[in-house]
Amino acid sequence: MYAVEMKNITKQYPLVLALDHVDFALKKGEIHSLLGENGAGKSTLMKVLYGICRPDEGTIIVNGKQVDLKKPKQAIDLGIGMVHQHFMLTPVMSVTENIVVGCEPVRGVIFDKASAQRQVQEMIDRYGFQIQADQKVKELSVGEQQKVEILKAIYRNAKILILDEPTAVLTPQEVEELFRILRELKKAGTSITIITHKLKETLEVADTVSVLRDGRMIQSDISTKGVTTEELAQMMVGREVELGICRKTQSVGKVRLNVKEITLREKEKTVLDKISFQLKEGEILGIAGIEGNGQTELIECLTGIRKADVSLIEKDGEKLEGAPGDFISRKVGHIPEDRMTRGLVLELSVRDNLILGYQKLFQKNGVMNRRRIREFTENLLKEYGIKAPNISVKCSSLSGGNQQKIVIARVFSEDPDVLIVAQPTRGVDIGAIEYIHERLLKLRDEGKAILLISADLDEVKNLSDRLMVMYDGRIVAEGLPEQFDDMHLGLLMTGAAGREGLQYE
Amino acid sequence: MSDLMSVITSTFSMSVPLILAALGGVLSVKSGVMALGLESMMTMGAFCGVLGSFYSGNAVIGILAGMAGGGLFGLGHAVLSVRYKVNQVISGIGLNLLAVAATTLLMQIIWDNKGSSPQVASIDGNVFTSPITYIMLAVMFFEYFLLFKTRFGLRLRMVGENPKAASTVGLAVHKIKYIGVTASGVLAGLGGAYLSLDHLNMYVRDMSAGRGYIAVAIMILAKYNPFQVLLCALIFGFSDALQISFQGRGVPPQIMAMLPYAVTLLVLAFGARHITPPAGVGCHDDD
Repeated sequence: MYAVEMKNITKQYPLVLALDHVDFALKKGEIHSLLGENGAGKSTLMKVLYGICRPDEGTIIVNGKQVDLKKPKQAIDLGIGMVHQHFMLTPVMSVTENIVVGCEPVRGVIFDKASAQRQVQEMIDRYGFQIQADQKVKELSVGEQQKVEILKAIYRNAKILILDEPTAVLTPQEVEELFRILRELKKAGTSITIITHKLKETLEVADTVSVLRDGRMIQSDISTKGVTTEELAQMMVGREVELGICRKTQSVGKVRLNVKEITLREKEKTVLDKISFQLKEGEILGIAGIEGNGQTELIECLTGIRKADVSLIEKDGEKLEGAPGDFISRKVGHIPEDRMTRGLVLELSVRDNLILGYQKLFQKNGVMNRRRIREFTENLLKEYGIKAPNISVKCSSLSGGNQQKIVIARVFSEDPDVLIVAQPTRGVDIGAIEYIHERLLKLRDEGKAILLISADLDEVKNLSDRLMVMYDGRIVAEGLPEQFDDMHLGLLMTGAAGREGLQYE
Repeated sequence: MSDLMSVITSTFSMSVPLILAALGGVLSVKSGVMALGLESMMTMGAFCGVLGSFYSGNAVIGILAGMAGGGLFGLGHAVLSVRYKVNQVISGIGLNLLAVAATTLLMQIIWDNKGSSPQVASIDGNVFTSPITYIMLAVMFFEYFLLFKTRFGLRLRMVGENPKAASTVGLAVHKIKYIGVTASGVLAGLGGAYLSLDHLNMYVRDMSAGRGYIAVAIMILAKYNPFQVLLCALIFGFSDALQISFQGRGVPPQIMAMLPYAVTLLVLAFGARHITPPAGVGCHDDD
């Protein structure tokens, strides 16, 4: 018996065919993982089911009845709930208000706040969450906010639950907790679809997998029993990929970057608290941590974008300070954490973006040497396998993976000694991840010193030769990656395990 | 002593239109649409009020006409910014320019005079006896109740904070915005009608004289809270009253006439720095 059947769903966007005659079926009471790379069409397919986006073709059958979904309200009435990747919450309002809005208990026209709060608190208690119904959403952690989103669906009696990339922003503990909730909901008869590109999690929580690639259903209704991550990865990418490349350094050389006691205060709050470390040539030093614990500020201080209150940065024994331009010319490369805001000027061409920050090298008396730029950038496109129609197209028209490759090509091609690399593979497909990881390891083997800041635990653990954990503006632990297991890392990242982590040294 | 009394009376009477327009602006901003078009809605309120009174000979009908005129421009602002997703600043300023041009043209056509209208039937009495003052107070209480106690208010605030979230829980985002913005026009129109039919008994070109913009400043300073609008408006009303009472007393009147605008500038520069509008202002539910 199916909770949802979608047949022949086609959706054409102005430039891309997002869904190409896709069939998808969700059985009652199962957890079904919808697997695929970014842009494979997973989210679009689920948005069709939730009534956010109308398909050009195809039929949808919910609980045996054919439906025509024009807006989310209809989907909600059919018992479909969706937890969006970017939470649909209003931070300044209370948990209760966020959950009940749209079907509020009322007395006449007056919003019955007391009764709403009671109902919500009862739900919270039933699932054993540590949230208060009258708390403001902005006071909650990301994991708790997700619980509010799930409660929102449960409050509306959702029997079919869609979760879009639910684990992307969670710590290992929060992921465990989420899976516990999902299993509980499944036991209660809820049918669940999770959209994800994470293979390990798929195998851990799902009963069934369907794989989408380039808007086509590659294989549907695969049982998670007897399928391996390698097989799934191959279906996702369409070729064999090496997952989790893990190759440690052979030789660590002298100290390239010596950072002493970076301290930064902002609005009465210590954002960075005496952060010191040494970065040596031939190593990747990883920093793990939940976003918002000072990583952004640390990166900004290390690249000259922001001036710390107290800081001494030495490169090769000489003091490093000044504007970002000075850092670049001292051969400190920077791959920013957000390519959209810091890495690229999306409205400029691929050619301009590839020399951004290094444009001084391509001019004479203030006039750009167009021929040299063209030769240089065309070479980079080839060398880094950037898929762009030509060098004049805008960066905004490229996929995330190709945009990230542009940032990387630009920085790597200028041969920096020290690299500050932040979130290098965020929102990038598996093929590009594999490529970027390979490149980073190759640079390290060439003797570069690399600082890697990433929220992706697998990534920092696999690539780093040394690992530090950052929490609340401090380095709370340091050691070899294999000395940390995921659960312990999770505790360190949330501050639950304190400085005792330093014992690893 | 009589000076003091006249400044106090004048403070209140200059505040009434500002409060009405700012209360309207709160509804608009709370629903997620910037209220820069208030000036045009006040202008239309003042003009249409006189027009209504001129043709009917009845001040009450005039005031209703003023509210309709303001509401019409409010609706226009809603259509532009919600339906056609025009940048809300541009839409607001565009409407402000349109209102000045349209009223001047209509004055020329109807009364053959670009400067002022003939005198029409108006509301008698001072600010303490004027029905509009009490309507204003009622609106203030009602608006607070509406925004923070009713189901509609919760939905309106949700739409203003995060239109996408509102649409994913099935709220009629567009309808709610239309209501909020049109209501802002009606209230600003009432404020405008007060200027022409209560304060005076005729329409004078450029009558609102930037009060719509001052109302925007008041609404921000009041943190978009109806009760605080009253208090903040009194600051501006007072500066306006002071300006009037100093006229013809040796101080160059042009300098004193600057006072309300200088206060606006100072308030926006120093008072409103940490006040955040609803997060969804200028955002749409479907992009």
